[in-house]
Amino acid sequence: MATVTVTERNVRFDELKLSARVFFANKTAVAGLMIFLLFIGDALVIQIAPGVLGVQYPNDVVPPQFTQTNPECVGTAPEPPSIGHLFGTIQYGLSGIGCLDLLQLVMKAIRIDIAISFFIVFVGAAIGTLIGVVSGYAGKWLDEAMMRITDVFFSVPFLILALAVGFVIGRTLLNMALALIIIWWPLYARYGRSLTLTTKEATFIESARASGSGRLKIMFRHILPNVLPPVLVQISLDVGTVILIFSTLAFIGFLPSNALVPELGVIANIGLDLAPLGYWWTVIVPGAVITLFALAVNLMGDGLRDVIDPRRRS
Amino acid sequence: MKLWIYVVRRLILLVPTIIGLTFLVFALEHVGGTSLFLAQYINPHLTGTARQKLVEELTAKFHLNDPVYIQYFYWLAAIFQGDMGTSTTIGQPVATGFVWFMPNTIMLTIVASFLTWVISIPIGVYSAARRDSILDQSVRIVTFTLYSMPVFLIGFAIFLTLGTTWRLLPDQGNVDPILLPTIPDAWFDHTTAVSYPTHILAIDAFLHGDWTVAWNALLHVILPALALTLALLAGIIRILRASMLEVLEQDYVRLARAKGVPERLVHNFHAKKNALLPTVTSYGYLVSSLFGGAVVIEYIFTFKGIGWWTTVAFLNGDVGVVMGSTFVFGLILVATTLILDVLYAFLDPRIRYE
Amino acid sequence: MSDALAIRDLHVQFHTRRGVYKALNGVDLGLRRGEVLGIAGESGCGKTTMGLAVMSLLPRNASIPRGQVIFDNKDLVNLPREYAERVGDRFKPKEHERILRRVGKAMARIRGRRISMVFQEPMTSLNPVLSIGFQVAETVYVHDPALLARRVLARSKATPQIMREVLTLLGATQGDEAALGRFAADHDLVGLEEQVLFVWRREDVHISRKEKAIRSLAGQSMKPWERNIIETVAKTGSIPPQFARVPVLSKLVRRILVREGSRKARELLTSLGIHHAERVVKMFPHELSGGMRQRVVIAIALANNPEIVIMDEPTSAVDVTVQAQILELVKQIRTSVSASFIVISHDLAVLAEVSDRIAIMYAGRIVEVAPTAEILHHPLHPYTQMLISAIPTLEGKSVEGIKGEVPDMRAPPAGCAFHPRCPFAFEKCNSVVPIDFRQGDDQLVACWLYEGK
Repeated sequence: MATVTVTERNVRFDELKLSARVFFANKTAVAGLMIFLLFIGDALVIQIAPGVLGVQYPNDVVPPQFTQTNPECVGTAPEPPSIGHLFGTIQYGLSGIGCLDLLQLVMKAIRIDIAISFFIVFVGAAIGTLIGVVSGYAGKWLDEAMMRITDVFFSVPFLILALAVGFVIGRTLLNMALALIIIWWPLYARYGRSLTLTTKEATFIESARASGSGRLKIMFRHILPNVLPPVLVQISLDVGTVILIFSTLAFIGFLPSNALVPELGVIANIGLDLAPLGYWWTVIVPGAVITLFALAVNLMGDGLRDVIDPRRRS
Repeated sequence: MKLWIYVVRRLILLVPTIIGLTFLVFALEHVGGTSLFLAQYINPHLTGTARQKLVEELTAKFHLNDPVYIQYFYWLAAIFQGDMGTSTTIGQPVATGFVWFMPNTIMLTIVASFLTWVISIPIGVYSAARRDSILDQSVRIVTFTLYSMPVFLIGFAIFLTLGTTWRLLPDQGNVDPILLPTIPDAWFDHTTAVSYPTHILAIDAFLHGDWTVAWNALLHVILPALALTLALLAGIIRILRASMLEVLEQDYVRLARAKGVPERLVHNFHAKKNALLPTVTSYGYLVSSLFGGAVVIEYIFTFKGIGWWTTVAFLNGDVGVVMGSTFVFGLILVATTLILDVLYAFLDPRIRYE
Repeated sequence: MSDALAIRDLHVQFHTRRGVYKALNGVDLGLRRGEVLGIAGESGCGKTTMGLAVMSLLPRNASIPRGQVIFDNKDLVNLPREYAERVGDRFKPKEHERILRRVGKAMARIRGRRISMVFQEPMTSLNPVLSIGFQVAETVYVHDPALLARRVLARSKATPQIMREVLTLLGATQGDEAALGRFAADHDLVGLEEQVLFVWRREDVHISRKEKAIRSLAGQSMKPWERNIIETVAKTGSIPPQFARVPVLSKLVRRILVREGSRKARELLTSLGIHHAERVVKMFPHELSGGMRQRVVIAIALANNPEIVIMDEPTSAVDVTVQAQILELVKQIRTSVSASFIVISHDLAVLAEVSDRIAIMYAGRIVEVAPTAEILHHPLHPYTQMLISAIPTLEGKSVEGIKGEVPDMRAPPAGCAFHPRCPFAFEKCNSVVPIDFRQGDDQLVACWLYEGK
C-alpha cells in the first residue's frame, strides 16, 4: 500500500467523523442500534454467565429433571403475563409440562437465534461472494454456468427449498442452518458477481494488468477490497432478514417435537397448539421479539445507507 | 425489437433453468441413496414379501441399479407422464393432489397480489409526493414494522384477532363444516372434499348456482388473502416509495414542472410510470416470498392449497409431495417470473427497441 | 422601456449536512425586452442556480434569504424569501417544502407559458417512457387547450371551397400572415391559419404538394357530441366541469386534444430543423441523438410563445458539430420569435456567437455586464480579462489559465470574492464588497479599480 500523506489521513478522519455524525443524526437508526446491542448483550450474558439472568439450562426448552422436580406443573395451563412472569408461561404440548417461564425461554432463544443468523449469513456470504467474484472475474463459460446454477436455486421459493433440503438431510437445528446456507449463497454469488463486473471495468484494473500482476493477485488485492464494503452492508441487512425465514420454518414445525431447542420460531410452534384456546401470548410474544430484532437491524441498515449513499450523506 | 421476439428469447432462456430444476429435484431425491425415492411409491404400511416384491418392481422400472444418469432419464420420463409417486397424506397419486389443490393456491396468490398492488400504488406514490408529512411518516412506520414481522406473525395475528377472537370472518378451511352435507354429490366429492370442475369451492358453487356455499366459501378466502396482502404490501410500498423519490429527483420531472404541468399530474403521471418499472422488477424477487408466505398462511388458516398440503406432508414424512412441490413450485415461480419480465418489457419502451 | 425580467440583490443558500453553501450573494441583473443576454462563468459560480431561482425550481433545501425576482411587476420569490427571513437560522427543508408547493401552484401559469427553461442535459431531460409527440403536445395542452380545440374545429368546419379561397389568398398576398388571419376570423375558422402557414412556409416540399396538403386540411370529421365539448373548450379554455369528472368522456376529449397537440408538435419540430417530424413524434427519447433531443427540448420551451426563454448550457452536453447546429438554431429562433433570451454557458465563445449582452458571474455575483463587443474587446474586470485571455484562438497567442480555485462557497471571501486570485487587488478589495460602476455607454463593472473613474 502506498504511504498515506498526512492530509489524506486527515481527510479520511474527517469523512469518518461525518459518517458517525450522519449515522447518529438518524434517531431511529440509533434506537435500532440500542435494541440490537441489547440482544447481543443478552446472547453474550447467557453464553458466559447464564446464572446472572436466572437462566439454568441455556440449551433446553424443558430443563432436565424439571418434570420430576415440579410434578404439579404437569398439565398446568399457560398463564398470561403477570408480575411474576413478565411474558407469562407456556405449556409444552396440550397436556404436557407447564409453568415454563416465557421470558426465560425467550432470553435463551435470543442467543441461539442470533448465533444461527450470524452463522448462516456469514458462511453463506463467504461462500457465495467467493464463488461470485471468481465467476465474475473469470467470465465466459464458467460465468454462464454459474449464472444458470444460481438461476435454478432462485427458481424454487425459499421456504419450499428449505423444507425439501431439510427433509433430505434431516430435521435438526444445524441442518436447518445448513439448508438456509444452501439457499443463501446464490444471492451473494450474484451480488458478488455483479460487483466484480463493475469493478472489472474500472480502469485501475487495466493499469494493474498492464503492470503485469497475476490474475489471482488482481482478484484479491484489487477486486475484493472493492467488493467487500457493499457485501458487508448487505450482510448487516441480511442478519435481520434471515431470522424471519428460519423462524418461520421452525414455526411450521421443521424441528421434530422430540428434539426441541429454545428458538423463537420453535417457541411459537409450541404456542401454535395452545393459542386457539385463548393463550395468545404463546405465539405473539416470540413473534414480537423476532420482529423487534428484525426491526432493529433494518433501522440500523437504514442509518448505514444514510452514511454510504453520497447523496443521502449530504 | 418486437415484443414477441423478446418473449421467445426469454422462453428459450427458461429451458436450461427448468432442466437445472429437474437436476436439483433429482439430486435431492437420490442424495441419500434410493430409500427416499422408493418411499414415494411404497405405502409405509406395506411390509414383508409384498414390500420386497414392490421394491424389486420399482428397481427394475426405474433402473435403480444402473448408473445415476440412466436413472435420471427414467425418473424424468415418469415425471413427464405425470407420475410423481403417491401421497400418503391423501392416499392418491401426487399429481392428482396437485390438480386438486393448486387452483386454490393460485386463486389466493392472485387475489393477494391484486389487492397488494391496488393498495400499494396510491399509497406509495402519495407517500413519496408528500414526503415527511404525517401521512408519509405513518406509512413508513407501519410498513417498516410489517416488513420486519415474520410471515407467521402477520398470519397468526389476523387469525387470532379477526378470526378466533372477534369472529368477524371465518378462519379455518374453505367452507363452514355445517354446510358440507348440503353440497350435492354431483359436483362435490365428500370423501376427498374436492369440488369440480375448477376445484375452487367458491367458483364451483357459483357455477352450480349454490349461492349459500359460494358466499360462504368466498368469505373463507378473505382472511388468508388479507394476511398475505399485508405481508407483501410492506415490501412493495417501501420499494415504490424509494423508487418514486428517486424519480422525483430526475431531470425529466424537473422539466415537467418547468413546462407548467400541475404538481398532481407530475406525480401521478410523469413520475409514477417511471417509478413503477423498477418496482415490477423488484416484485419479481418478491414472488419467491409470496409463495413461501402462501405456504405458511395456508397452513395457519387450513386453506386447502398446495402450500397447506406441502406443510402437512412435510410434517408427516410424505416424500412424494415435498419433492413434487419443489418441482411444481419451481415451475410456477419460473412461469411467474417470465410473465413479469414480459410485463416489464411491455411497459418500458426502452427494452422493446433494443 | 422596462425590463422583461429584473433580478435584484438575490441571495440563495443551500442547506446541507456539510454546511450552508452561499450560492448567490447579491445578484443584480436586468433582462431587456427582445435581447439575448449571455451569462458566463466557471462551474459552481451560480449561473444555473440563478436560472432555477427565476423559475422557482430550486430544491427544497435552497433558501432565499434576500432579494427579488421581478416579472410583470410581481416578485416571484416573495413567499420563500419571507419564510427565510422569518426563520433565519432555523431553516427546515420540510417546512420549506410546503411553501414551495404554494409557489409551485402560483408558478404553474407562468412556467412553460410565459417563462420557459431549457436544461443542461438533453439526454436526461426527456421522460423515457413517454413519446416525443406527447411530451411536446403536453406543453400546449396544459396551457392552451383552447388553441388545440380551435385548430381541430377549424379543420372540421373548413370546406374544400374555402380551402381553394385560402390558396388564392396565399398566392395573392405571398403568404401574408395578417391577411390570412383576417380571412380566418371572417370565416370563423380561427386556428386554421397557423396550420396553413406551416405548410406554406416549408422549404423542403414542392409547391404542388403544399397545395395538396393545404387542401387536405379540410374535412376533419367529428361526432356531434365531440364537437360540442371541443367548442366549449375553444371558448372557455378548459374542459367543462361536468365532463371533466366523467372518466370515459374526458379521456376521449383529452385524447383528441393531445392528438392535435401532436400535430402542432410536428409543426414545431419541423420548424426547428428536425426532418421527418411525423416519425419522430411517435418515437421515444432513447431513439434520438443528443442534438435531436436538444431540439425537442427547445421546441417544448418555445411551444407557447413565451416572453422569456432561459437556456442553461445548451451546447455543453453535445459534441462540437452539434454545438454549431444548436447555435445556428438559436440565432434562427432569435429572428423568428419575439422572446427575450437568457443563455447560460461557461463557454464565452458560445455566448459571443449569440448574445447581445454578456454578464460575467463569479462566486454568486455579477461582476461585469456589457454589450458583447465591449466585453470581448474592452473587458474591464480582472476576472473577465483573464477569462478572455484563457480562450484558445486560431491566432495562437499564449493561453493563460487563471491561478487559484473557485472559493468554497460555505465561506466565501470577504469583500470582493475574487480578491484572493486578483493580481490587482488592494486594501479595499478584501473588506468591502464592490458596487457597480458605470463605464462607457452601457458597461457595468463591480470592481474598486473603477471607483471614481
